[in-house]
Amino acid sequence: MKPRIASPLTAAASAALTSAALAAADSAAVAELLAKIKSADDAIRGPAWQNAGPLGAPAVVPLGEVMTEAHFEIARSARRAIERIVRHAGRPGADAERRAVAAELVKLLDHASPNVRKHALWMLSEIGEDPAVEPMAALLADPEVREDARCALERIPGSAATAALKKALATAPEAFKYALAHSLRVRGEKVEGYPSQKRVPTKPTRLKGA
Amino acid sequence: MTHRNIPRRRFLQRSGATLIGLGAAGLPQLVPARVLGAASGTPGAKDRLNIAHIGVGGMGNGHLGYMLARQSRGEVNVVAVCDVDENRLAAAVKSTGGKATPYRDYRYILERADVDAVVIATPDHWHAVQTVHACEAGKHVYVEKPACCTIEEGKAMVRAAREKKVAVQVGSQGRSQREAFFAHQYIANGMLGRVHTVKCWHYATPSDDHPVPDSEPPPELDWDLWLGPLPWRPYNARYLHGVFRWLLESGGGQIRDRGAHVMSNALHFLGADHTGPVSVETKGRVPTRGLWDSAIELEVTYQFKKPDWTLIWAQPGEMVPYPDRERVKREGIREGYGAVYYGDKDKLVVWVGDGQVYTEPKALDYRPPPDGVQVPKSPRFDHHEDWFEGIKTGRKTIMNIEAGVATAFLCVLGNLSLICGRKLHWDPVKQEIVGDEQARRLMSRPQRYPYTL
Repeated sequence: MKPRIASPLTAAASAALTSAALAAADSAAVAELLAKIKSADDAIRGPAWQNAGPLGAPAVVPLGEVMTEAHFEIARSARRAIERIVRHAGRPGADAERRAVAAELVKLLDHASPNVRKHALWMLSEIGEDPAVEPMAALLADPEVREDARCALERIPGSAATAALKKALATAPEAFKYALAHSLRVRGEKVEGYPSQKRVPTKPTRLKGA
Repeated sequence: MTHRNIPRRRFLQRSGATLIGLGAAGLPQLVPARVLGAASGTPGAKDRLNIAHIGVGGMGNGHLGYMLARQSRGEVNVVAVCDVDENRLAAAVKSTGGKATPYRDYRYILERADVDAVVIATPDHWHAVQTVHACEAGKHVYVEKPACCTIEEGKAMVRAAREKKVAVQVGSQGRSQREAFFAHQYIANGMLGRVHTVKCWHYATPSDDHPVPDSEPPPELDWDLWLGPLPWRPYNARYLHGVFRWLLESGGGQIRDRGAHVMSNALHFLGADHTGPVSVETKGRVPTRGLWDSAIELEVTYQFKKPDWTLIWAQPGEMVPYPDRERVKREGIREGYGAVYYGDKDKLVVWVGDGQVYTEPKALDYRPPPDGVQVPKSPRFDHHEDWFEGIKTGRKTIMNIEAGVATAFLCVLGNLSLICGRKLHWDPVKQEIVGDEQARRLMSRPQRYPYTL
């Protein structure tokens, strides 16, 4: 029997259906993950965050929301689920997954909670590439998370991160410029002024000396 | 440390001479002991070092007690103590009879020209930064194990110690123990044949089964300074004291805490300090709740090449009970960790691995032939004494910084493989992860300013 040849219209419809089915499956899996992570029972919550890795990009932003839960163990589980996703997506050869996860993490950089913004920055420090640099660098002006933004950018290879740190050095508050200069030096850049403060003591004891 | 390009020791001699002329009795902290005790023939005075202790709780308190005993014999001066917990600091000052100057911030100590050497016994995330800064200031360093928390930290420690030519001893004191010497001698002289496998065992890492929410730090604690290089976060009682060991960032679990002893001995006995594995693969079970995130059970397989051998770290692994049960009771032998060395001719068990090391009678009774391999021995089987000899003579200490870092890299890579969830490939010559961009980035952890390398 001759194989049937699908018409272009049928193939497109089939692809759309497949895509919709996959999206629905993703959505169901993410919903199940979130429900389990919100459980007060760590026997349910624990395995859920520990196996979150393959759920990938669609779970990142919803988990960011769960990080703001008042129950500290639930919030911590969401945080760790994001770490699992990032470490899974960062495996060699998973470029598309990694970029998709990084794009979702970038969305969390605008989150109202500084804890969520910080976590997104540190996660991007592991897998972020040039497209993440500009939104990360915007947080160098955010007093609540600028130190985390600096650290995260310090870790990202490439000229875009270096350029972002240099640009910030020109406009940052004076006290923060020392930290930015440090990051640039770590990356092999020469920086005029702002010598290292690392060995300058600042915290005297209240105890009486000998 | 130099002053306007004058080498530190010459500077001290000059400044000491000037101060003596000005009346040194009123300036005891500014004049190095060797200058005051310059009268030849004064027992102990000529070589008496001024020691400062950074971190005086837990192991730090043990080190302080050791140095105070040496001080009572006229061998050293304990001139400063430092801790970010003022209660611990006050207790340390008291133990010195009020003679040591207290500091919260170790950087004041590094500014003191009269301090010759520092003993660092802070949580692990401080080891590298404080060691590098102390070396840069020209101080000799005894630093608790594990040497470092990241690959880049370890490399920075080696660079700093080499550049400043100071003696660094890492606190994996198993190498200095008497029975470790005999085990080493036995293995190095080929009594096991070619060693192809070393299997370590250790009981599990505890889990935080009663997690608590973040809270305000206690008034005696400088939380910011405790965190130091770590990203800032609110205080939680489960971070300290002592339990920092169970967090990946600040301790790393049993593989970093005790692996830094047991695997240190493996590298030492096999003459492998200058090498490293080519691959690291980890399986483990991490806690489902609580702040502590180090693996409860863990198995790490390290593959070494040229020569080929396999190192396995296993929690809990296959414990070998120490055969003399009376001795276990009498001496409190902690047989919950150790290692079995498998050669193609025989095997050897080495129990514990830190301040306690025990091995089998066949190794204790063995004496190498005159042309046999001579292995290093710490003076009086004393790890601190070996450090002092390194300071005095310039020879490498038994757990020098290169060896300490090589051991710490095993611990770090084992945990990295676990958190990445995959096998890692390591270039032991370049000391870097290959073929895995994310894992490569995790070789360093950018540090909170100004607590940086």
